[in-house]
Amino acid sequence: MSDELLWITVMGQQVRVSIRRAVRASGDEPVAPTVPLVLCNGIGASLELLQPFVDEVDPAIEVVRFDVPGVGGSPLPKLPYNFAGLAWFLSRALDELGYDRFDVLGISWGGGLTQQIAFQHRRRCRRLVLVSTGTGSLMVPARPGVLAKMVTPRRYRDKEYAKQIAAELYGGRLRDEPGLAGALLHDQSRVGSRRGYLYQLLAGVGWSSLPALPLIRQRTLILAGTDDPIIPFVNARIIARLMPHATLHAYDDGHLGLVTLADELGPLVSRFVLAE
Amino acid sequence: MTSTKLAGLNQAGPNQTGPNRTSMASQAAPLDALLVEAARGPLRRFLPDSATAKWAVSMARQPGATVRRLRALGGEAGRIALGSSELAPDRRDRRFTDVAWSQNPLLKRLVQLYLAGGKTVEELLADADLTLTQRRRLQFQVENVLAAIAPSNIPLVNPESAKAVIDTAGLSLVRGGRQLVRDLASSPRIPEMVDTSGFKLGDNVAATPGAVVLRTEVLELIQYQPQTDEVREVPLMIVPPTINKFYAIDLSPERSLVEFSVRQGRQIFVISWRNPDARHADWDFDTYVRAILDALDAVEEITGSKQTVLGGICSGGILASITAAYLAGIGRQDRLAALCLAVTVIDNANAGTVSALVDRRGAELAKRLSRRKGYLDGNALAEIFAWLRPGDLIWNYWVNNYLLGKRPPAFDILFWNADTTRMTAGLHADFVDLAMENKLLRAGAVTVLGVPIDLKAVTVDAYVVAGIADHITPWENCYQSTQLFGGKTRFVLSTSGHIAALVNPPGNPKASFRTNDENPADAKAWLREAETHQGTWWTDVAAWLSARSGDLRPAPRELGTAVLPPLAEAPGTYVFDK
Repeated sequence: MSDELLWITVMGQQVRVSIRRAVRASGDEPVAPTVPLVLCNGIGASLELLQPFVDEVDPAIEVVRFDVPGVGGSPLPKLPYNFAGLAWFLSRALDELGYDRFDVLGISWGGGLTQQIAFQHRRRCRRLVLVSTGTGSLMVPARPGVLAKMVTPRRYRDKEYAKQIAAELYGGRLRDEPGLAGALLHDQSRVGSRRGYLYQLLAGVGWSSLPALPLIRQRTLILAGTDDPIIPFVNARIIARLMPHATLHAYDDGHLGLVTLADELGPLVSRFVLAE
Repeated sequence: MTSTKLAGLNQAGPNQTGPNRTSMASQAAPLDALLVEAARGPLRRFLPDSATAKWAVSMARQPGATVRRLRALGGEAGRIALGSSELAPDRRDRRFTDVAWSQNPLLKRLVQLYLAGGKTVEELLADADLTLTQRRRLQFQVENVLAAIAPSNIPLVNPESAKAVIDTAGLSLVRGGRQLVRDLASSPRIPEMVDTSGFKLGDNVAATPGAVVLRTEVLELIQYQPQTDEVREVPLMIVPPTINKFYAIDLSPERSLVEFSVRQGRQIFVISWRNPDARHADWDFDTYVRAILDALDAVEEITGSKQTVLGGICSGGILASITAAYLAGIGRQDRLAALCLAVTVIDNANAGTVSALVDRRGAELAKRLSRRKGYLDGNALAEIFAWLRPGDLIWNYWVNNYLLGKRPPAFDILFWNADTTRMTAGLHADFVDLAMENKLLRAGAVTVLGVPIDLKAVTVDAYVVAGIADHITPWENCYQSTQLFGGKTRFVLSTSGHIAALVNPPGNPKASFRTNDENPADAKAWLREAETHQGTWWTDVAAWLSARSGDLRPAPRELGTAVLPPLAEAPGTYVFDK
């Protein structure tokens, strides 16, 4: 059986959520929810994209994924939003799901959201994992050719196009196997509207975590690919330098390393989350 | 099936307006018209055009009549001012039920003026020398304008709104204003009709236990868990509409056709269509029929039955009929035990307003627009439909949500109604062509998967059910299906409209249905000789199916098979895609 899917309604907005319930190592018996790991996805990506990673996370960890409003299986929000508003909205959603404390993992765009959540909900957010992410509008940017391809959701809509640009955009393993991008981005994914993608882009406009990083005191694991054309590796170093309790782990892959290298990073993240 | 199902739902809204009810019959908006209109957007219908000009010319040509009408209005206005007018709103008109509308002298006069003005405009329209198309178009515009300018829509003038402002120290207007901004911000630009927060898929809607036993790119097939010790040998597979989600037949427990059928000892399989997106623009009849055949294979594999009853609802009924004809065409009709069609129109001839609403150019444009986008947006369909019933679906909620600052009601049908889906451009084009040229009536006019489709070749028994108050799939058109298939057809006419016909659980004292053993060519003749039965057609179809579903055998314990193991619990995963 797959993970549990549900819709919750928060402030009139429906969100599609997937929960993988935690099980004891010994059997299939569900355990009382401990601290769940909430995954914040990259721009334009539906929660299915993270499946290979979820499958590698220790079964004792409850994993919560969601589609940002306007993306994947969640309906378009009535109005644009920013990271602060979305972080607040998510905290309400986690209330609704019955979680008081949580760990958050964010990849790329979702990493920005994760930093905002950690900053804004410091009591509730216990640990954070930042993957292939930067500090928002004040960061070392990608090359213009890469950025230009990021401003449209075309790679999610056109499988052939996704394969064609995979190497240049995502780097790492996809340089040798661009066909994999088609499978990762398309086979299980849901595509939201163009407007949903636009709202996501807008949420990041003018936003930067740079000045606030020293104030994020939670234990943090930073994962960064050494060959990431979208978020150059140096950004991870900057974040690690500025956050007081961060550890940096570099891996040998590209922007989508969390899924293309899931067998290595899944256990690594699990150890970090489960550590005393 | 579509967002349109609200047609049959007169009892549903919180406080409906009454007056448009009677004229609705002439405003029926059949599916094909909606499919064309939705792609083009509602605005077009509001713009003045040649019909408006023709009306003006017509009024000017017969100045005598026009002046007489206006003078009558003037006289009435005088009586209203003096307080001697007898004019009063229809008692069924829920807009003006508050006592203040009759007791407060100012408000009373305001309502009377509104009614007198509206009556005059309608009379002027009736006098005018117009073609049917022009008349319908103008009627649409006039009704919308009249519904919009009703005094009950004005904040603070509406006594309920004024009271709410006092009770909440103005907060009701603040809340209402906020909701207005939210609703206008994105499509569908209509007031929110349902509070969705109380509903949970798989919990209190679409909650009948079962499992997904097949997942393809296009569909998930749900097998429902038997709830009896023994089940009928021959399974029933239902093809739902391709607009909105499948769970119109599995709403709240005790209101679910699926649950009812499972409890009758039937093996039920239901298709849950993928909510397609721009990537799936090319999916057309071939894709969907192929998907139904895949599902049929799975049903046979799981049940071991060589035969299946194929059921279809609305646009799903069209697909089911085509699939049946395809099987007949390749000589494999032995795989079907019977065909069951609910609120399905195959013959579009004389579907009332089609000719008035849709012309060939419009249809071509509609297809082009959806092709450009890759799909027809379900929200656009919802919007079109709402503007066809402005009193019930717009202004009613305008008052409730914005003037009174209240949340819309929670109601399972409305929840389902708001859960719209997209339709691929390919399927949209195929449906529009089918309707415009009434193709399924001519053998071989449609070719699916390389096989010419001839409905006459379908010789299994068929059960056809329609709702007498259905504005989407008018019952007379549904009835015509009895003349199309080659086998014996039982036609059943239920009370109620499009969706209420489906959601028709036993226990409603007002429910009844009609049957007739003969199927004359003319629907009216059928109705004259028909016999009325108390109760719901659900029990009638249950008996009909049981006679065609073979013997009883022990119910399977497990769902699926080793080859097709359960993949997810019902209602599956595709149903969660917005």
